[in-house]
Amino acid sequence: MCVISDEDRNALRNSLSRLLEAAADEAKLRSGMEASRGYDSAIWQQLAEMGLLGITVNAGSGGIGGGAIDIAMVAEEIGRSLLPIPFIEAAVIAAALLEASEARDETNDFLARIIDGTATVAVGGKAGFVPYSDQANSLTIDPDGKLSGEVSLVLHGATADYLLLAFDEGADTRVVFVKQGSDYVVEALQANDPALRPAKIRLGNAECIELTGLSVEAVELARLRGVAALAAQQVGAARAIFDITIEYLNTRYQFGRPIGSFQALKHMAADLLVEVESATSAARAAALALDAGGPNVARTVALAGFVCADAFREVSAQAIQMHGGIAYTREHVAHLYWRRARAMLSMFGDSNSHREAYLQAWEKSA
Amino acid sequence: MTQIPRNTSPQDLSALVLEWLDKNWDSEKCRPKGTAQYNEKAWLQQVLDAGFAVPSWPEAWFGLGLTPRQSGIIEKTFASRRAPGAGRDRYHLGAITVFKAGSEELKREMLPTLLTGPICCLLYSEPNAGSDLAGIRSKAERDGDDFVINGQKIWTSNAQEAEYGMLLARTDWDVAKHRGITFFLFPMKQGGVDIRPINQITGESEFNEVFIEGARVPERFIIGSKNEGWKSFQTAISYERLIMGQGITERGRGAANKGRHPLIELAEKTGQLSDPVMRQRIAQALAYREINSFNNVRAKEEMQSTGTSSLMSLSKLAMSRIQHGEAAIATDLLGVQGILDGPDNPLSANANFDAAKAYMNSIGGGTDQIQRNIIAEKVLGLPKEHDTDKGVAFRQVKSGVN
Repeated sequence: MCVISDEDRNALRNSLSRLLEAAADEAKLRSGMEASRGYDSAIWQQLAEMGLLGITVNAGSGGIGGGAIDIAMVAEEIGRSLLPIPFIEAAVIAAALLEASEARDETNDFLARIIDGTATVAVGGKAGFVPYSDQANSLTIDPDGKLSGEVSLVLHGATADYLLLAFDEGADTRVVFVKQGSDYVVEALQANDPALRPAKIRLGNAECIELTGLSVEAVELARLRGVAALAAQQVGAARAIFDITIEYLNTRYQFGRPIGSFQALKHMAADLLVEVESATSAARAAALALDAGGPNVARTVALAGFVCADAFREVSAQAIQMHGGIAYTREHVAHLYWRRARAMLSMFGDSNSHREAYLQAWEKSA
Repeated sequence: MTQIPRNTSPQDLSALVLEWLDKNWDSEKCRPKGTAQYNEKAWLQQVLDAGFAVPSWPEAWFGLGLTPRQSGIIEKTFASRRAPGAGRDRYHLGAITVFKAGSEELKREMLPTLLTGPICCLLYSEPNAGSDLAGIRSKAERDGDDFVINGQKIWTSNAQEAEYGMLLARTDWDVAKHRGITFFLFPMKQGGVDIRPINQITGESEFNEVFIEGARVPERFIIGSKNEGWKSFQTAISYERLIMGQGITERGRGAANKGRHPLIELAEKTGQLSDPVMRQRIAQALAYREINSFNNVRAKEEMQSTGTSSLMSLSKLAMSRIQHGEAAIATDLLGVQGILDGPDNPLSANANFDAAKAYMNSIGGGTDQIQRNIIAEKVLGLPKEHDTDKGVAFRQVKSGVN
């Protein structure tokens, strides 16, 4: 499945990491959060120029044909940078489904614009399938193919150029693509993570293109890849705030010695290292399982789904505690990680639902 | 000695070993072919001569120069034919320590004996030197070419069977505690060595107290150098912790990846498999176990590519939350039935046993709290805590005993 060599992947990781270090240091990250999209659009363009927005798309369709390992590599770097960009939505979910659909003739131009970074796409709707899933969505398509209904929470919905919405009808999952200028109302919502741009979307007879001919497997693959990519993003972010915290333990002095010499903090640090490394192993196992296929894919992805979400929450929360008063300020970076960790808890299903899926997979495998 | 190229595939390696075993070992009767009865020493010698006892060691030292992974394949192949004697490069702590830290002379004299004998026992902890192990008070005093040992050791397993023990004893009382310790390969079968079993909270007696009064050990049996025993000892203890992180202390280990997990079975038997709270707890327990196995895979890969891995030190700590956690869930699943014990109540007896046995991992080989200090200092590079006995002659260190 994967056509990228280890050597190319390492080179890609190095240049991506250099790009993000330069383009998304703390000052730029914070100024980007004040911009309309919540990030500096130039970074999105640079990711497109590296080919990363077409990472799942085959070379014949303008992408680079990467596998879950490649997605994980990119997602981990993005997570480390804390950039609030819709990479998973655009590159992992939307691009893959647009490519897999039979409605290719109608959507080719849109796919091309997603890959070249000139348009962004937000994804919403069906529970567990899309980021920030919405159990209560009420979408319907009338016989003329017009879309109506409401989706109560779409991340980046306030700023994206296109919408990709999914909903269940009977046993089927229907996926529709809504382009800019279609008739829908966006109500921007306030988020706890200041970088996110969630919105409520109301559609009344909006024009849309249904992504027909999507197999159950293609939809499930996009979902699993989304979960695994999110896990990798959480790993990158968790390790970043962990490293910041260890650095602080070594440099902050109280009682005439570095606070990292106190066992109370050492023991917390050791326990958090177990969390960070376990999350790293889980995210990697999920990506490897996705690329290798086999009977344990869903189980391993579900495992990464809750282990990484819980690890990022725990590490970012304890990071504030371990820093003490300095991290109780807006000026300190710790709360940005903590807010992101909390916002990520319910993407693609929450930890409890992943744990339940994980146990069900064990029961089936016995 | 068998000749095996390093690039031999796992399948070919396993086939080679099977061919040798089929020629030499009767797996039905569990004894070497053509013998009337199992002679352990003779068989271990045969395995050693073939290179299968310590395959990851160099050919000059009884090995085949293979990788640890290849050695593991040989160990598994032996196990599949119920043949003992392989994998001694993984678990024979005495031989491993002498091989890694001993002098050329000691290696040449003692490795053949150790590798064809029982595993060595560990004479480390004392009643007043547990977590602060370097505070040992067992005395080693020179007398001619020997040292005379006096002291009391505790938590020694296999003390009755062992022919040799790895002994930490103090040889200099006027320097700081780490600097006056010597590490000996100590002959157990002699007068002045009194072994008394400890009754453990699990009902087992795998550990002993060892009272040593005027027993002797030749100077040439020092592992490393006199007064530098703490350094050689680090080699031994790091292997011990690695083995514990693999869950070696567990009853029926390896269950997690084969068939139905015991906790799922127990939940079904006790009618709680559909309880959503229990389902969450069981899923989390299974997850801890599975991610620990993923961590161990990464640790082995890092060891193979760079020779070191910080993940090695995490698995023993991770194993504690796995074992204590699983035992707690089993106890809660059993509810009031968990009060009962004994052979008539095997489910409760297992849960009670596991709940007690979990302390073996979280206390033995360094408590979880000591392990967290080690991870914080050695892996994360956090500063050492202020030690009040730092640089103080051991004679002057407060001990609470005298």
